[in-house]
Amino acid sequence: MAEGSGSGHGELLVDKHVEFIKALDKKQDELEYWMTEHLRISGIYWGMVALGLLGRDDALEREAVVSYVLGCQNADGGFGGHTGHDSHLLYTMSAVQILVMCDALDKVDAEKVIAYVVGLQNRETGVVSGDEWGEEDTRFAFISVATLSFFGAQARLDIPGVVDYVMQSMNYDGGFGSGPGGESHAAQVYTCLACLAIAGRLDLVNRDRLSAWLAERQLPSGGLNGRPQKLEDVCYSWWALSSLHILGRPHWIHLPRLTAFILSAQDPSGGIADRPGNIADVYHTCFGIAGLSLAGFDRYPLAEIDPVYCMPRAVVERAGLRGWAAHVPAAWGIERDAAPRQ
Amino acid sequence: MSAARRPSVHGRRRQAAREPTAEERAQAQRQLEQYCALNHKVMEQRARNEFTNSALEATKQLLEQNTELHTVWNYRRQIFAGMEAWQDESERQRLLEEELMFLQQVIRKNIKSYWMWGHRVWVLKSLPHAEWERELGLAAKLLAVDARNYHGWNYRRFVVSRLKAAASDAAPQAVDEQEFAFTTEQINKDCANHAAWHNRSKLLPAILAARDEAGRDAVLAAEDVLILNAIYTDPDDQNAWLYCEWLQDIQRDDPARCRLLRQRVSAIRELLELEDDSRRPLIELVSALVELDRLEPGAVADAERGECIATLRKLAAIDPLHIGRYDDWGSALGRRWGLA
Repeated sequence: MAEGSGSGHGELLVDKHVEFIKALDKKQDELEYWMTEHLRISGIYWGMVALGLLGRDDALEREAVVSYVLGCQNADGGFGGHTGHDSHLLYTMSAVQILVMCDALDKVDAEKVIAYVVGLQNRETGVVSGDEWGEEDTRFAFISVATLSFFGAQARLDIPGVVDYVMQSMNYDGGFGSGPGGESHAAQVYTCLACLAIAGRLDLVNRDRLSAWLAERQLPSGGLNGRPQKLEDVCYSWWALSSLHILGRPHWIHLPRLTAFILSAQDPSGGIADRPGNIADVYHTCFGIAGLSLAGFDRYPLAEIDPVYCMPRAVVERAGLRGWAAHVPAAWGIERDAAPRQ
Repeated sequence: MSAARRPSVHGRRRQAAREPTAEERAQAQRQLEQYCALNHKVMEQRARNEFTNSALEATKQLLEQNTELHTVWNYRRQIFAGMEAWQDESERQRLLEEELMFLQQVIRKNIKSYWMWGHRVWVLKSLPHAEWERELGLAAKLLAVDARNYHGWNYRRFVVSRLKAAASDAAPQAVDEQEFAFTTEQINKDCANHAAWHNRSKLLPAILAARDEAGRDAVLAAEDVLILNAIYTDPDDQNAWLYCEWLQDIQRDDPARCRLLRQRVSAIRELLELEDDSRRPLIELVSALVELDRLEPGAVADAERGECIATLRKLAAIDPLHIGRYDDWGSALGRRWGLA
């Protein structure tokens, strides 16, 4: 297959992508299906975000999804990536986001989820672990705050402690690493900015230096990488561009070229890969379409995505969680429209 | 959002469509059945809270095939803690040494597994007698193979923090010096190594704090040489420039910052005599002049202000990817300086 032949002259293969996502659950005859069982709940989340942006929310059966997700909750209140798997913050957030998208958050015992998340914060250091085994990472700072915000319960955390930890992870280039001392990485930058956005502390960011660093992530192909001298990858269309959106500077990269790169990574038979010519998967399909939405793709009426919550903006508004946009420092001079884009 | 912890789906090429042979199909089917049976067995053992050698062996086989099963890594740790041998210190040492050997194989299979690295950290923390120097050697080996490996650097920093904690009074400083020298070595090998520049920025404050004024000046002079070497090797590489910009932040006062900025401006002008349309030096020239203008009003003459605006126009022409940034910057400067 010739490289980039999937671009279909710059069209988004909407129906193919919908079919690709719907078929993910019907591949029981493939080893891959079983090898990825442990993150099925994240797979559903990625699929639902992609479908939501494509305006095809109805492609998955809502009742079945909700009942599967509820079955992944453990006695400790957290969620595993699949039925019978141990709880982890990563999957707990995916589960809660799916329930929010299905308008079914009331089906879960909120207090149990809240207690699970709150229990993972070390009250002395403010650091939040991913699970009871204690792995620390700035991703978990974001996930804990974001997950609790769906229940209006973020104040149950020591928020200044979380913010301190995130700021200890800031680097000389303005970016953020996976923890204090860690090298800047576009995906970690997103989680830190999104965390600070919800906490109302974006004033702590070195906006100019970080925006410049993020803008440098674009390579001549139009694609974005996650760190200097690394290859471009479709998923950074989300991590880096959502960060630039939060900073109010999406136009610091060339959006039409990014759009062309994402489209060229489409598989003609459905799904988007990390790079042109590679095998498609639901993770890159989600973040590719999310990137197109952020880049203002206008050859198909994609729904707008919220750059903090990585869900359709309409869903975030329904959940009453667009408040972060009002807490961006006034000095940045960003005027975010109050109403969703038509 | 499930940031990272992403499935291992990067960099696999689409194959030209070809029907698998009957033999290939049968083999794939056997592989699938074998994997599912093993997975089922482990989950059953786990449900029974079975903490035995048999469970240890089954989880090992399963994790060799799939490093991403965090539930199985968790179970493996529970098995260890639940075994009678765990109570005996020398037995525990033996079990965990064996576990490190097992992890050596797993690293070769999937160096990017967060769960595997988390497990290794647990093993090292649980070992009655951990050999941190040996772990530092492992981190060095990993970085020799892939000098940018994210996990390799994270692991190295973890090991170094333990070495420092275990060191006697004067020794933590020696560890910092050794790590600083390691970043020099990495940068000399490849001046575009972002991870090495980054780690250097984390170490430099401690290196400076341990010296008197003459010593600090000597270190900073050496930093200048390192930066200049990198900039002349590849003027468009961002690393040395970022580091250079950050050195401003840690200067003791504004006069010191202005001195450094003036040096930077003249170094950039010399470089531009060789390559006058090199994008990064042009950006840095504007950035240095603007900062100088901010710190010392009047230091930047009208002609140089005009040069900044003209340079941003030139940048927009040679680097259309970042035209939005140059436009924003030019407008802000125009407003600040009252230029149209």
